[in-house]
Amino acid sequence: MNDSYKIVSSSILYWFSQKKWFVFSILIGLALINMSTPVGLTVSAYHSLVILLMVFILVTSQPIPFPAIALLALVLQVLLGVAPANEVASSLMNDAVLFVMGSLMFAIAIVHQGLDIRLAKIIINIFGRSKRLFIAGLMLISAVLSSFLGEHTIIAIMLPIGLSVIRNIDSSKPDGKNAVLLTLFSIAYGTIIGSIGTPSGGARNVIMINYIREFSNITIDYWDWIQYAYPILIIQLIMAYFVLQFAFPSSLDNIQLQGYKKSVAKSNNATNIRHIFSSIIIAIIIVSWFLFNEQFGLGIIALCGVLIFMICGMVSWEVINKNTNWGVILLFAATISLGFQINDTGAASWLIDKFNMMISNLPEDSSFSWSFMAIITGLTANFFTSSATTSLLGPMAIELQPNNIVFGMSAAIASGFSFLTVISSPTAMILYSTGLISVKLFFRIGLLMFASSIVILYLMSRFYWVML
Amino acid sequence: MNILIAIGGREYSKPTLDLGMKVANSLEASTTIAYVGKKVSQFSEKDVSVAHQNLDDRQLYRPGVRTLEWAYDFLKSKNYIQEETNDFNDHLLVDEENSRMRVLLKGKHSNKIDLILRTGEIIEQLRSEVQTNNHNITVIGGGSNKGMHHDLVQFIDSSVLVVKNYSFKKKYKILLPVNNSVGSNNAIEIAEQFAKANKLEVEIVTVLENKSSDENLKKILDRTAKRFSKSRIKNTTKVLEGPVVKRITQSASDDSIVMIGVSPKNPIMKYFFGSKPISIAQKCECPVLIAK
Repeated sequence: MNDSYKIVSSSILYWFSQKKWFVFSILIGLALINMSTPVGLTVSAYHSLVILLMVFILVTSQPIPFPAIALLALVLQVLLGVAPANEVASSLMNDAVLFVMGSLMFAIAIVHQGLDIRLAKIIINIFGRSKRLFIAGLMLISAVLSSFLGEHTIIAIMLPIGLSVIRNIDSSKPDGKNAVLLTLFSIAYGTIIGSIGTPSGGARNVIMINYIREFSNITIDYWDWIQYAYPILIIQLIMAYFVLQFAFPSSLDNIQLQGYKKSVAKSNNATNIRHIFSSIIIAIIIVSWFLFNEQFGLGIIALCGVLIFMICGMVSWEVINKNTNWGVILLFAATISLGFQINDTGAASWLIDKFNMMISNLPEDSSFSWSFMAIITGLTANFFTSSATTSLLGPMAIELQPNNIVFGMSAAIASGFSFLTVISSPTAMILYSTGLISVKLFFRIGLLMFASSIVILYLMSRFYWVML
Repeated sequence: MNILIAIGGREYSKPTLDLGMKVANSLEASTTIAYVGKKVSQFSEKDVSVAHQNLDDRQLYRPGVRTLEWAYDFLKSKNYIQEETNDFNDHLLVDEENSRMRVLLKGKHSNKIDLILRTGEIIEQLRSEVQTNNHNITVIGGGSNKGMHHDLVQFIDSSVLVVKNYSFKKKYKILLPVNNSVGSNNAIEIAEQFAKANKLEVEIVTVLENKSSDENLKKILDRTAKRFSKSRIKNTTKVLEGPVVKRITQSASDDSIVMIGVSPKNPIMKYFFGSKPISIAQKCECPVLIAK
């Protein structure tokens, strides 16, 4: 057989094997577009749902780079007549996208300052009296910091601390492995749970605030969000502590905390001024989020933080440019734009009508639709990541009860329950990339956390939020 | 000659490393030992990268480096690396291109061994490694799923050695099925050098499928036997009759290393319907090399 034929056919096959989900999504899209438009939907609304399905397939299977998925979503919106080019362009950028961009860059600037040693010293000073208190301290500090600075920032700072502690654990001894896992999961669950606490904890929170403002004309500021979400965070932390103690029973005798304390104490203090200065910048930004989020928006304030770090020469543009995930920013911009079109074309209302018709035979109780919405957003987020889920399913969650923020808030918070899969959040992915935990283990422990978190969210939204 | 050895978990990689290095030594080949780290979702790839850079700054090994350190120590303990070497702790990680990092050991070290860290989907990473560095043989453990072996043989442009149930203590013999394909010629060449270097016995077989005799195949069998005898390699010949896959898997025992040529079939047919060498690699409970 001709060698060049073999090479060409082999290359085509390889391309196909890598891109099969892309081919599948295109075929599905073409097939649906050629079908007749469902009754009650306009053509543009129908096409926006087809694009939603294609984006969902592509983002979950990732056969092409994110920027390509983002561009495809934008191009299709115009080509399929969902919205004119100018409208798509104007829906592409808003405060939520600026926040995604700002928070990713701000995270890089913060991680670059090497604050982990400083943080380790603080944790040891406050929680170093006993090993169990120390592990609880790792979880608590991770959660509090993550609630303000985002989980992607805090896991990058906390991971070296966690791995340094693990270096002082003799994992060959009985229950040593449990001590390792307890340490890692305490940090991971702390950062995941923390991210629901404030709007700046995760891009999904900001996306939902924007949607609620646009679609329901209700404004939620930084403090409002904290009042709704922080009590849930605290209960979840307590729950996580006991879940982990139950899952990884360990006497903690294997942790040589003294060894870790010595290695932290020996570490270089020459960067004191840099640490103090970067802490001041971080504090200013957090306070600004509290005080000025209404006037300037969370995104602009996050960008101010990056700006100060860059002007002061504490981080270079090269470092930020190299480490910022521009593909994710573009993807969020495109999915948020699609989310607006799904709402504007009436596709979201149509889906909700269908859903309401489907459950019309069940007893009239908002608990069912709430549970359905919370579980679906929570599960979807575990396979699709939280921010993308919120940007695409958020409009539909709000549409379930447009005059009540409970559904929108619950959807955003439930999408933060990334306990089931390692692809669901940066924290889970970073933890998984260490090779110390398996997909199965993460899922097994996460299932308990996910279920209990949904119950906590339900009870809080039913009995606590009504008091606010 | 370049050989690529892909390693994963420490315990499971011992046989892969050992047999891979034996093949490399017998072919006097340069060796690249590659650890392919978990594929990272595009959502988190930069976050993971920043976290790993932070680990480097704190002199905490990033994932995979410990496995490469273990591999290096294992090779030293088995005398595969004979030159005087520095301690692995004294190393540099050099980011060479997207998702590929090289571990540079400071000071004097063997220039025949490369330690590579890659991240991503394993077939894609090994394919890229083979394409960039022109590896002739890729060695991989047999613990992975069968679909992966199929994809490796299909898409990687090098011979593939699947190391399954290999034991250091056993005395192995080579089972060499021959026919008139180009792949079979390459298998004969590799088998000759490997058997000579490791003083292994070779059982040369040919399979007659749906026919009672084939002069051409018998000639190839005799010619191969003569070639091995000339190289002072102890060998036996056998003509088998029946379905190729069944007869070869029956002939292969747990102390065999099967060395077979790749199928000359159309790649598209191979992708959808498989091939005999791939089926043999999947069914045999011993190491199988598919030569290209």
